[in-house]
Amino acid sequence: MIEMALVIKDLHFSYSEMMSRRRVRSQSFLNWSGLSGVVLEDNRKEILSGVNLSVKLGETICIGGASGQGKSAFLRIIAGLAKPTSGTLYYFGEHIPIERHDALEIASRQVGLVFQNGALISNLRVRDNVALPLRYHGMGTEAEIEDKVNMALDLMRVRHEADLFPHMLSTGMQKRVAIARSWAMDPKLLLMDEPTSGLDNYNRRNLLPLIDNMRKLFNTSIIIVTHDLLIAKELGCNIVFLQNKTLTEPHSFDYWQKSNEPIAEELFRDLQAKE
Amino acid sequence: MKNNVVYKKLTLPGRLFYLLGVFFLSSTPGQQFTLFVKTVASVFSRKKNFKSDSKNVINQIFFTGVEIFPVLFVVATLFGTVIIIEVITMMNKVGFSDVVGDLMVIVIIRELGPIFTAFLIAGRSGAALTTYIGSMAINSEVDALATMGVDPIRYLVMPALIGGIFAVLIMTILFSFSGICAGFLMAKLLIYFVGDMLNVQISWAYLSTAILQSLTMTDFILVIVKPVIFACIIITNASYQGLAIRKDVRQVPKATSRSVIYSFLYIVIFDVILSSFYIFQYFGEISKII
Repeated sequence: MIEMALVIKDLHFSYSEMMSRRRVRSQSFLNWSGLSGVVLEDNRKEILSGVNLSVKLGETICIGGASGQGKSAFLRIIAGLAKPTSGTLYYFGEHIPIERHDALEIASRQVGLVFQNGALISNLRVRDNVALPLRYHGMGTEAEIEDKVNMALDLMRVRHEADLFPHMLSTGMQKRVAIARSWAMDPKLLLMDEPTSGLDNYNRRNLLPLIDNMRKLFNTSIIIVTHDLLIAKELGCNIVFLQNKTLTEPHSFDYWQKSNEPIAEELFRDLQAKE
Repeated sequence: MKNNVVYKKLTLPGRLFYLLGVFFLSSTPGQQFTLFVKTVASVFSRKKNFKSDSKNVINQIFFTGVEIFPVLFVVATLFGTVIIIEVITMMNKVGFSDVVGDLMVIVIIRELGPIFTAFLIAGRSGAALTTYIGSMAINSEVDALATMGVDPIRYLVMPALIGGIFAVLIMTILFSFSGICAGFLMAKLLIYFVGDMLNVQISWAYLSTAILQSLTMTDFILVIVKPVIFACIIITNASYQGLAIRKDVRQVPKATSRSVIYSFLYIVIFDVILSSFYIFQYFGEISKII
């Protein structure tokens, strides 16, 4: 269990957990444990049912599947932004009960999330955006933080845009800044929601070695939700598919390409046709 | 469920109390109260960064207080003028000219000053804060803050609360001052132009002595207590409405109007509650006479 970055056992998640206004606010900000037992449990539409997943330290996993299957919702659960209905989650071997499952608690275990739209703080410059969590957590002196920020911006090739505001950047650039911001925090488990969508081929090819380096140098575990399944081939990682509210077994790109399962045939048809 | 185990162990009155607590905390005022307590608690959290915090707080004071001052000054002056003239004409007519000071203190310092300042700041800064936090919530920036380990309550609400308390306190005192001083000058100007038509004779010495004589200790305490409570109400309510927004752009204007209207409601309710101190004081005085 110690060498596992994330273990999820029998996870259930229903729609009302995500949409009910009172619950969302009580979970995200005003989390009071007494509420969850009394609130009526009606109107449930399950999104995830009986999901199991385990990620080793330093392992990269791609989660694929048709859109609308709840991949992003699954990532939000892992990041603590949504609370599962039931299930057991272990982060780095430590069990976090559902009552304590919230974003701050999980972020304190060095889990980072890159949002699909970047989610940069719009009233701060790019540089301050990257420096914000470092300053908040007091990670080093001002000079050290400055160095770290410059390094992160250099890695993602956004150093020239360091003094611009997020709305002046293109979507792809915003995403790169968001990745830089997560990278600067030295996450041990990094969750990425569609990291390559909106990136041109050149930047995509630059991003992939970076992800690979993070894994090799810092032993970071990475979970990538993506439609771009070729990433898995290039990173040499396993793919799991989210279908019928549950995850399939992890298998390599080549396995899925040759397999006869309907989901694989559906999603790999184009790739198979190419060859 | 862990909570149900706790619930089963309780006796009947305990269960009632538990359910009452759950009912209160799941209602909107209860959640706002929880947010307020969490905000106050976050001031003392371990992750202190005095430099960036003080910068945020000063920005907030500037935004809440300084930028609203011109409007507040004009409103205070004009209201002060109207009240001074009306009170003095009326009191002279009915022959109670010795209660002018009392009336000025009651109207301007006790009631109008705190309430008008709070209304102006709720309408401007409260609404702005709701829109700001609400837009951040819609762009999932609040979620992003949380996933970076940055507590949204500490990063967004706490500086607004501290800055808001200082700003409302200072603005209330300035309101009362400009209401009386600038109001007096405007009244003099008006009398100069109108001449004998109003038949009002006032002098600064008379007005200031009358007001100073009628100020009590309770006034001084409540001049500080009222703005602090009003500021807490405005900022907590505004932040709450912003944070509780769903991911829908149409919710932002709704949340903003809710923020302003509920701030007004809570302010008036708390003003009534705080005014009961004066009522107790009167009872004490009356019982002494009897």
